[in-house]
Amino acid sequence: MKYGIAFIFFLFAFISNSQKYTISGTVKDASNGEDLFGAVIKIKELSNVGTVTNAYGFYSLTLDSGEYTLLYRSTGFQTQEVKIHLINDFSKDIELSLPSDVQQIEEMKVNAEKENDNITSSGMNVTKFDPKSIETIPVLFGEKDIMKTLQLTPGVKTAGEGNSGFFVRGGGADQNLILLDEAPVYNASHLLGFFSVFNSDAIKDVSLYKSGIPAEYGGRASSVVDVKMRDGNNKKFGASGGLGLISSRLTLEAPIVKNKGSFIVSGRRSYADLFLKLSNNEDLKDVQLFFYDLNAKANYRISKKDRIFLSGYFGRDKFKLGENFGFSWGNATGTLRWNHLINDKFFSNTTIVRSTFDYEFSIGNGDDAFGIRSSIKDWNVKQDFSYFLNSNNTLKFGVSAIHHTFRPGSLTGSNESFNELILSSRYALELGAYIQNEMKIGARFNVMYGLRYSGFNYMGEGTDYQFDTNGNETGSREYSSWESIKYYQGLEPRLSASYIISEKNSIKASYNRNYQYIHQLSNSTTSSPTDNWVPSSSNVKPQIADQVALGYYQNLKKNMYRVSGEIYYKSLANQIDYRNGAELILNNQVEGDLVFGKGRAYGFEFLLEKKKGKFTGWLSYTLSRSLRTFADINEGKEFSARQDRIHDIAIVMMYKINKSLAISGTWIYYTGDAITFPSGKYEINGTFIPYYTERNGYRMPDYHRMDIGLTWYLKDKKKFEHNLNISIYNLYARENAFTITFEEDPDDSSKTQAVQTTLFKLIPSITYNFKLK
Amino acid sequence: MRTLFYILSFVIVANSCQKVIDVDLNESNSKVVIEANYSSEDSTVRLRLSLTSSYFEPSSASELNSATVSILDGNGTATFLSNIGNGEYILTNYVPTYNSIYRMNVVYNGVTYSASSELPSPVQLQPITYEFTTGFFGSGEGYFCYQNYDDPIGSENFYISVISKNGFEKNKVNDFILGDDRLTDGNTVSRPLFIDSLFALGDTASIEFRSISEDVFYYYDEIQSIAGGGQSAAPANPLKIWDNDALGYFSAYSNSRQTVIIQ
Repeated sequence: MKYGIAFIFFLFAFISNSQKYTISGTVKDASNGEDLFGAVIKIKELSNVGTVTNAYGFYSLTLDSGEYTLLYRSTGFQTQEVKIHLINDFSKDIELSLPSDVQQIEEMKVNAEKENDNITSSGMNVTKFDPKSIETIPVLFGEKDIMKTLQLTPGVKTAGEGNSGFFVRGGGADQNLILLDEAPVYNASHLLGFFSVFNSDAIKDVSLYKSGIPAEYGGRASSVVDVKMRDGNNKKFGASGGLGLISSRLTLEAPIVKNKGSFIVSGRRSYADLFLKLSNNEDLKDVQLFFYDLNAKANYRISKKDRIFLSGYFGRDKFKLGENFGFSWGNATGTLRWNHLINDKFFSNTTIVRSTFDYEFSIGNGDDAFGIRSSIKDWNVKQDFSYFLNSNNTLKFGVSAIHHTFRPGSLTGSNESFNELILSSRYALELGAYIQNEMKIGARFNVMYGLRYSGFNYMGEGTDYQFDTNGNETGSREYSSWESIKYYQGLEPRLSASYIISEKNSIKASYNRNYQYIHQLSNSTTSSPTDNWVPSSSNVKPQIADQVALGYYQNLKKNMYRVSGEIYYKSLANQIDYRNGAELILNNQVEGDLVFGKGRAYGFEFLLEKKKGKFTGWLSYTLSRSLRTFADINEGKEFSARQDRIHDIAIVMMYKINKSLAISGTWIYYTGDAITFPSGKYEINGTFIPYYTERNGYRMPDYHRMDIGLTWYLKDKKKFEHNLNISIYNLYARENAFTITFEEDPDDSSKTQAVQTTLFKLIPSITYNFKLK
Repeated sequence: MRTLFYILSFVIVANSCQKVIDVDLNESNSKVVIEANYSSEDSTVRLRLSLTSSYFEPSSASELNSATVSILDGNGTATFLSNIGNGEYILTNYVPTYNSIYRMNVVYNGVTYSASSELPSPVQLQPITYEFTTGFFGSGEGYFCYQNYDDPIGSENFYISVISKNGFEKNKVNDFILGDDRLTDGNTVSRPLFIDSLFALGDTASIEFRSISEDVFYYYDEIQSIAGGGQSAAPANPLKIWDNDALGYFSAYSNSRQTVIIQ
């Protein structure tokens, strides 16, 4: 009997101690049913216990049985409080509403004092953007552009006017993984960098990881820009768009089945060439210059546990000069995803992606026409799992495989002078497997630790060339389809930790190692869409980046201000550069023209934000260096990378003048790019030739400009709201240098001069925006 | 292919603004520059010796007439060039042997600079054909020429074409039109050539078609990209043809010519 009672007590103890239950569900926007990514769920009664929704709005929290008050929060929405009595597993789906009147806005402000999630969450170094918050930032030609806004944050530097791409913490333009609904986008710029390929009307969330990159991402050395498309209003039909001087756009969305499925289609087209037709210059009238893009997505909830998504992007830039010369490039991506809830703690996502990028030149007309085409095509299959083990541990693990096909160039056409030349296609298989845990230790310490295994199989069908140290071919070998030519692999540890000092400040530290197996060759001081992507091979090793970073974050004056400072050091191995006179076009043996070395980048980033009040904005300052060392360049001495911009400042200000008028301004300044200028000259065949000494030993002039924008919220109509945005790019018309070339003085051929070209001075633009209510 | 980029940048540049600016450049020490040509057409070897000068200053005349210059044939027999002033040295009546390798030596200020070049056999240019066009890039209407020839099959051939209009030779570095047979080996080639202006009715068009060595082809290719002002990824001095750090080139070349009057 004694044992019996003891046994029963023991059983009870056992049962009550391990009696945990899981509450799970999704958090959505009540107005349109969109999943809210990064919504915070906290328990009023317990500190440092809570969770965050994943990209599909799903959350799962496992707690001891008991009574709790759950708080569901997301920036811009009213917080919802839900009292629960947790005695078994259950699911709770929440829809958060926007504040509907002034009183609610005021209440939100009071509660927002507690919005110090930037301090208390463990997520390190994620710069997140929600398109609502950047509505009034002036960007080129009046378009809201998320990529441009990212370049206004510390550590992210634009590649410059007229260039595509950007640099993160001293890394190259090809070192950023840009994902649109999990599909990699190879060239994220339209019109040589003036517009990004992301139409903000179709975007739900953009997250930028500069350090402490989670183990689920791999393939690029410096950063990840994860862009998620909106799903589409699943409650009612919506339309929005804008009509502007340079481009126009339209977005349509509607439910497929109310509250169960929806679709969204978003298109954009520019027409810069219409203005060139008005030009006095005869040549320019013949120019066709435009881009268009289309985003489309549909999703459907098949059952309570299953949801499927189909999304696609298609965009193209076209440039045509008369009948004889054309140049176009574009991306196309398609993603099919299946979310499956294995149980209320175990979330699965299966993804299939098709992504392509290509560019094409066409020369001549009729019999003499020929074309040059180059492309990269991927098939990607991924399986990701999230396991919400308990309130202190969230596990993520998964695998990924990408099949790459590189078509570096084909010359085809009816012109008889040229042999048809089709450079051999190259193939590779990029593999990844990862596991990661996000863990809370006590009330103050959060740590995310993970490991990614990555592998790269460079394979046939194809020819592998060997080269000597001078780049001359010494031999070649043929390989058959799927036969492995070279296999690389690596382990990538990813660690980040944060320590909450108080509810107002915290420190965070991180370390990550990233392998990059495909590389973009850029043959210019400017980056262009014709820069080819090439795989690692027996001659080209994968790039490896190791980065450590440390940051301090502080909220001031009841979260009205946020201040942060971060320092980082990044070391880069197997960096690629070119021999003198390298031929990067239509060259089967381009690898012989490449040289290899290493790099390092380090810096300090400062960010001061004002989050509340009539006047909001931020000041971003980055002090950094980015250096390279190559045995074959600059006599082996360390030199500045082109993007070694020591100072980089961005000031962004938004002011709400009154209910119908808002003004915003941006001022950016950065140290000029490092560049190679001559140190002397000599004559060859009567022409002056510049004589160079060190590589990148000089600086372009400093770049700065101011943009302003005025948004006039017109009187709401019954069915829709609308506004007029007037913006001016480069308000004080500074002549920033696009290139500096050294030429013979046209008036005196015995002299030479330096000539600076500026692309754009002052450019005004007007856009009319509307949105159905 | 480079022209494609020039075309694109032209359109962009045409609508933007340019101005001359001051740039502060470091001065480097003077380097020796040697330009040497051996033309089989007139059996003459010409060499010009000069020095680099500071970038923005007008080039200063250098007294480089005290060098000893010689050329060696395939057998190693040396013949000396005579100085004719202005840093120029010349040797006439030097009978060429095709496909042999010539070497040149320059002894200046105690340093010996040397370089070698193979003399390729000439490739015959066929009669020039021409075509009328209504014009592009704002040049108005006119004629342009096609260069016609049979590329020898199996050998790697490199060419420079020099066009003359009404007797005026376009022989600045950027006027040279480079060619190779990477894509046209063994073909009958009909290639349109473009210079800074079109031909008008009644003009005389001439083409000098030089066969050059591979080194010289790459040298001119690199020189043309940096003579354009330095827009390549790696603006740097071109490949070294002379040793001991001298700039310049040595080109032994053969050629053929054709002339036509536009009618």
